[in-house]
Amino acid sequence: MAQTNPPFMSGVPELLVLRLLADREMYGYEIVKAVRLVTREAIGVGEGVIYPVLHGLEESGALKAKRKAVNGRERVYYTVTAKGQRRLDHLSEEWKRVSSGVNSALGAPEHA
Amino acid sequence: MPSPQFEHLELELLHGGVAPVYVQRALLELREHYADLESDARAAGMSSDEAECTARAMLGSEQTIASVILAHPELRAWSRRWPRAALCLRLALVVATLPEAPVMFCIARGPEIARWTMAVGIATLIVGSLWAYLNFLIMIG
Repeated sequence: MAQTNPPFMSGVPELLVLRLLADREMYGYEIVKAVRLVTREAIGVGEGVIYPVLHGLEESGALKAKRKAVNGRERVYYTVTAKGQRRLDHLSEEWKRVSSGVNSALGAPEHA
Repeated sequence: MPSPQFEHLELELLHGGVAPVYVQRALLELREHYADLESDARAAGMSSDEAECTARAMLGSEQTIASVILAHPELRAWSRRWPRAALCLRLALVVATLPEAPVMFCIARGPEIARWTMAVGIATLIVGSLWAYLNFLIMIG
């Protein structure tokens, strides 16, 4: 029997953020731009809501934040921790499983 | 149009029980984000007003941001997350500090207490001397 999917849609921003930060450290604005780029602007939300997601992940130990002064601006850079990497692996697996199920349903012949 | 300082958002978050440290951090990042959006819009050839409007629209409304932040219980101050524990701790602190309060008061008000003690002492000495002198006069008279 399939597992239940509590992070089905609500985990999407987390998944994207963790995936992007797994490659390199970034600050909020960079992350939003990268999300827009990699999703081909398919996900459009108010950009300010990225910060609660980042802070929630930081609070849970999945991300680590570091303040840096760059060109007179104070930036908060985020990196993925080992715990965050594990969470990313878990969310990726969940997402692949769910999307494969949905794709299978969409590609299946219509019910009689 | 002035740059947003997010005063309304700040108040809403603080009233909602979000930790003040987190509120300040979120405001710093939102201000920086707004500045980046505005600067990119200007670089794309927009006028100052257009760039500000675009930046505000892209960042999202303060109400939306506040509601998303308030939906994260882990971002709230610990006293809001565990109100019973906070109440117990406050009570324990009151009970622990209550007996020390008079001592702490005396230490804090040391100079005034010393002056007051000296004044009462001098007054007692004067009254006592006067009383003794009057008694002496009665005895010899």
